[in-house]
Amino acid sequence: MDENVRPARRSDIIWRHEARREQELLEAQERGEDISDRGTVILVAGGTMHQLNLLGGEIWRRCDGNTTVARIVSDLAGEYDVDPAEIDRDVREFIEDLNQRGWISYE
Amino acid sequence: MNDTNEGLLSAPLTFNWTLSYRCNFSCSHCYSREEQAEELTTDRICLIVDILADKKVPFVNFGGGEPLIREDLFDIASYASSRGLNVSMNSNGWLIDADAAARLRQSGFQSVGISIDSAEARLHDDFRCMPGSWQRAVAALDHVRGAGIRLTMSSVISRINFRNFRDLIALARDHGVQTLYLHNFKCSGRGFKNREDLDLSPEEWKAFYVEALEVKNSLSDLTLSFDDPVIASLPGYDADPMVKGSSCGKLSLHLRPNGDITPCGFIPLVVGNILAQDFDDIWYNSPVLLKMRHKEAKGKCAGCAAYGDCLGGCTARAFATTGDFSQPDPHCWK
Repeated sequence: MDENVRPARRSDIIWRHEARREQELLEAQERGEDISDRGTVILVAGGTMHQLNLLGGEIWRRCDGNTTVARIVSDLAGEYDVDPAEIDRDVREFIEDLNQRGWISYE
Repeated sequence: MNDTNEGLLSAPLTFNWTLSYRCNFSCSHCYSREEQAEELTTDRICLIVDILADKKVPFVNFGGGEPLIREDLFDIASYASSRGLNVSMNSNGWLIDADAAARLRQSGFQSVGISIDSAEARLHDDFRCMPGSWQRAVAALDHVRGAGIRLTMSSVISRINFRNFRDLIALARDHGVQTLYLHNFKCSGRGFKNREDLDLSPEEWKAFYVEALEVKNSLSDLTLSFDDPVIASLPGYDADPMVKGSSCGKLSLHLRPNGDITPCGFIPLVVGNILAQDFDDIWYNSPVLLKMRHKEAKGKCAGCAAYGDCLGGCTARAFATTGDFSQPDPHCWK
């Protein structure tokens, strides 16, 4: 995937950022709890409800058609205390998964 | 942060909205036929739409009564759509001809559901106490589809149709329905009074759901949908719901014609009024909602291995028959 690609959410997908839940998860993460299956973005696609976890939600919210993959990676690398190469891989895999599902397109 | 609301969404995803209890039908199972409430003006309704939009509630589903009884339904829907809400409704179909369907489309309706309770005209008409209603409901299916609106069909499962639900599937397919909702029978309103004649026994419910789940998983051209927490323990049910047990008060709420909020249309407990009170205060602090979100296993639910998935089944049915949210769902076969 070219790092200058700008992922764009499909306009007919209904979603909502759950800021309160996100705060809860950040606090749970601080306590060392596993939060990987708990959602911060609720998304309805094809009549089915989905939840995106903390990192997935961060990526999804940046898929606005203006932000490049490279920018998403650098933003999140600044927020998460993990190996930048790992963030790069996770972001690209997640975006490709969103694309495979038809939830985003590449601008 | 209040721990009792941990994991709770910031607002419901759906508001089921009864704009009016008035109806041109008089159905045997109706939960609301004997309800009465002052109706709001269009302007006041638009104020409610503003609140829902501000809270980022994505879905509003108009029910009733018959939504089309209100002549301003199209204006209300247009306004709600303009505020970013996804608008749908359930109708008996009587008032939907080609012109009405076109107006529904122009008003921004994303989805319209028609209630049909039997593939046999006579049974449907008797159940709905309205001669000719089946014919007009089936015609409404075609008008809605013809207008290019997502088409759904709703059937309340009861003694008149549970053995022949495959005929309802065939009818839905023949008319291009995208989702067929097989609603579980609720003992509210007339449904409570007529439950001896209409409701199934727990064993019959189990047999119905086992068969219906098998059929659901074999369909590719039609989505079959149930929203009944009592089925959580059955084989073939592999959904991973966002919440366990009843979704009322967790993912959805109900609005009455005067702006009063109830957990769902089948639980007649007002938790607040959306025009008179702060919505967040109602959502996070209503004692009724808190109690519904934190049920305790009582009766046969205590110690049952399925409780973790079903949380006692349908809270409305438990409340209607016992007056206690935490009692077992009377449909439970365990």
